[in-house]
Amino acid sequence: MKRGIHPELIELAAEAAGLEAALSRRGFLMFSACAVGGITALGLCEAFGADAPLVILDNAKGMLLADPTRCVGCQRCELACTEFNDGRAQPTLSRIKIDRSLYFGPEGPTGGPRMQGSWGNGLVVQGVCRQCPHPVPCATACPQDAITDDPKTGARVVNAAACVGCRMCQRACPWNVISFDEQRQKSSKCFLCNGKPKCVEACPAEALRYVPWRDLTREGEKGGVLLSLIPANKAKACAECHVPSGRNPAAK
Amino acid sequence: MAAATGGFAGKVLRVDLSTGKISTQDTVEKYGDMLGGTGMGYRVLWDEVPAGTGPFDPANKLVFATGVLAGTGVPCNGRTAVTTIFPTVWPKALVGSGHMGGQFAAKLKYAGYDGIIIEGRADRPVWLFIRNSRVEIRDASRLWGSGIRRATLEISQEMGADCAVAAIGQAGEKLAPMAIVANSVSHSAGGVGGVMGSKNLKAIGVQGSGAVHIAGDKSEWEKLVKFHLSILGANNQHVVPSFPTPQSEYYNPGSRWVGEPGKRWGAAEPPIEITGNIYDLNRIAFRTNSAAFFLGDNAWKHTVRGNGCTACPIRCHTIVKVPSVAAKYGIKEMGQNTCTGLLFGRSFFKKLPGGLKGQTALEACMVGMHLADDLGLWCNYGQLQRDLMKLYHDGLLKTKIGSDEYASIPWDKYEAGDPDFLFDIIPRIAERKGELGHVLSLGTGGIFSKWGVPEESWTKDHASLYWKMGHPKHHANEDDGQCGVIINTQYNRDSQCHSHCNFVRNGLPLAVQKKLAEDIWGSADAVDAAGNYTPMNAAKARRARWSLVRKELHDSLGLCNWMGPWVASPLKERGYSGDDSLESKFYSLATGRKTDRAELDLIGERIFTLHRALTIRDMGRADMRAAHDLVPEWVYHDKGDTPPFTKGTIRMEQADIARAMDLFYEVMGWDKALGAPTMESYARLGLADVGKGLQAAKLTPGSTGGSTGGTPGSKG
Repeated sequence: MKRGIHPELIELAAEAAGLEAALSRRGFLMFSACAVGGITALGLCEAFGADAPLVILDNAKGMLLADPTRCVGCQRCELACTEFNDGRAQPTLSRIKIDRSLYFGPEGPTGGPRMQGSWGNGLVVQGVCRQCPHPVPCATACPQDAITDDPKTGARVVNAAACVGCRMCQRACPWNVISFDEQRQKSSKCFLCNGKPKCVEACPAEALRYVPWRDLTREGEKGGVLLSLIPANKAKACAECHVPSGRNPAAK
Repeated sequence: MAAATGGFAGKVLRVDLSTGKISTQDTVEKYGDMLGGTGMGYRVLWDEVPAGTGPFDPANKLVFATGVLAGTGVPCNGRTAVTTIFPTVWPKALVGSGHMGGQFAAKLKYAGYDGIIIEGRADRPVWLFIRNSRVEIRDASRLWGSGIRRATLEISQEMGADCAVAAIGQAGEKLAPMAIVANSVSHSAGGVGGVMGSKNLKAIGVQGSGAVHIAGDKSEWEKLVKFHLSILGANNQHVVPSFPTPQSEYYNPGSRWVGEPGKRWGAAEPPIEITGNIYDLNRIAFRTNSAAFFLGDNAWKHTVRGNGCTACPIRCHTIVKVPSVAAKYGIKEMGQNTCTGLLFGRSFFKKLPGGLKGQTALEACMVGMHLADDLGLWCNYGQLQRDLMKLYHDGLLKTKIGSDEYASIPWDKYEAGDPDFLFDIIPRIAERKGELGHVLSLGTGGIFSKWGVPEESWTKDHASLYWKMGHPKHHANEDDGQCGVIINTQYNRDSQCHSHCNFVRNGLPLAVQKKLAEDIWGSADAVDAAGNYTPMNAAKARRARWSLVRKELHDSLGLCNWMGPWVASPLKERGYSGDDSLESKFYSLATGRKTDRAELDLIGERIFTLHRALTIRDMGRADMRAAHDLVPEWVYHDKGDTPPFTKGTIRMEQADIARAMDLFYEVMGWDKALGAPTMESYARLGLADVGKGLQAAKLTPGSTGGSTGGTPGSKG
């Protein structure tokens, strides 16, 4: 069963672009971003380059939801992520990101009054993978098509055998949550621990939950808490699918 | 570049500030038999720092060292020991170490180092930049003169937000013996800041992207980590809650497990209410709230969250938000620390409006943290504040400093319990201003040496809580009878040991503790109820030995001895037992070297014994029993003259303490008359070279040495 974009819409668009053949490739949809003007905006072309493929994956079944007001900055999630999955303690490899926002938050040491972390308002904003829906920036950016969806959880996972370590996915991720394993020279990202996330189990403050996937991009600031910042140059890629519903051509 | 073994980062960094030379050594090859931490520090001092070296001499070395388990997911790691010739030891500086938590230890490991040995003295202010294999001595002239916070902020801007910075403030720059080094806002190591200052070293910034490898099977590791979490209590391993609940068989009002369901982190936005099962492992972080424990219920509404060291689920550093201090004193409304660091400001005052747990007390704490953690002033476990209080109230101070200086101090604010007083007194001491600032910045010993005050006036005064050699008691007879007394005789600064009191104060009923004691120390008699002591016995001596060995083990593995050991647990189904082999199990899995409890404890004993050897060497005498292992007079007295071994008094008896020392030296295998390790004990512990060195200097039992020179410390 397809989740996310209605399959008929995709087929229609693909047909209009003369790209029906691409539909069958590796079980997910792939076609030139610029060729399907009906459901993609020019923003994508600018973000990914005119010839970049657009990869559409089924939406994930689950995702991590993080509550910054509960985070106590102990990094036990980062350590569980890498110790229990990789046999080493290494926050830079962790697929959940605490270390970088521990002291100053995403604004960094010059954040002034907006500073988060233990130097600012005390808040530690966790960096978690959203398991993005279409257009799945990391998968789209990967020239090796090494990022696919795990059949069990729908998590976007890196196929290490196919990854060549070019780091394009790291640059494409709007949330900066792709890790790079220097030791193996491979990219690595949250794979939801096959449906039983170690980080969630490890959190001593119930700051993390594993919940059914849903689109939260427009809910970020409602609670007064800024969940994450998307760099402007990367935000373009999201604009297509996440513009207010009345203006989204895909929703018509 | 996988490490040869797990656990260890692999290298020790050596930085000679005199020559600018930066080099590395293989950790395991050079210091593996000492683990790391204090073990590495003691070894460096023994091998490389000659007897008689002063704390601020360029020949003194400063060893920042963590351990095998730091940077991993083992609960309650994150400790760095800073070992050096310790400047507040009186009358003569001797080996000692300050210990800090925070993120420094983990970052250092991820950068690839188990320790840093700082040598020499830079010819101008510098700071040390460490980013993985890139290590540089950088100019700190712009940072010199600034507080810890500004130095940390500027270095973070230069290196990146994810570096850990250990910096000194103005106190350290001015070579105050009472100075700290602090990392990550609030995690300090006392007494070593001035040594850094003497080397012109403002700070160490460290950033690491590497890994600590776990040699053993990762699923076994996961299992053991989860087991450890299951036997955790709250702060100080208090394993029962402080409140009655149907979920727990026992409770104890003295427990630091204060996170009762219904309490709220009131300053979180939105506030977080504690709910659910108190044993839930996903709620461990709510058990401890240091601010609420020390400052009462009022602190809950100011609590933003818990904070603390890398990987520790027991968040002992409470972040508190007190907007009123921003309005009244123009300081930041947020602050964080724990225990005596949290209480730094409050501890100056005898009385405060609203009492010790009122709003003014909280504000005094905020002002104290704001000043002391930035200027980098140490409290010597509260002795600084008690000293000032005693000097003032006994009328001594008036006679010791000039009348102009005396009159310049706002004593009216002091008397009134006005936190504004702290803006005068803390910078005065930290910046060593005037006679008072200078003398108090030396530590308690300064009062004896500079002002000719006899040490007896402190050792006879229970209220001073002074123990010996310039330092206070640290969990002594008030918590643990003879065991506490023995432990407090062994170090050159306050003893810093919690192995013993974490057990007796864990909150379990005495009957349960006695049952556990039987398993761990071979006899139920190893434990008494606090304040209801029985005469000394051999089991208590075994427990004292175990406590000291574990303390050094923790300080050398990167574990927190404020939280461990973990021999009791909240688990009824385990009969409330924890696991006495936990450290060795973690060590074995991390390093891949199968090591059992006895083998690892032997290393702990080796480390402890090397500390003893260094003390003997540098004091130039072997009669530790008479000259070093001293007990203050107040221990033998009781206000109401209640006899020893009566319920309700912590009074000890002289003959019984003499017997306690006999039994302790005996279980250590030391010479009883001298209180010094024998050649056999050095050999048994793999310290034959150390024994030979001391023998050549006639500082071992049987060599003709022994007592020379005058008594350096107090009598008793």
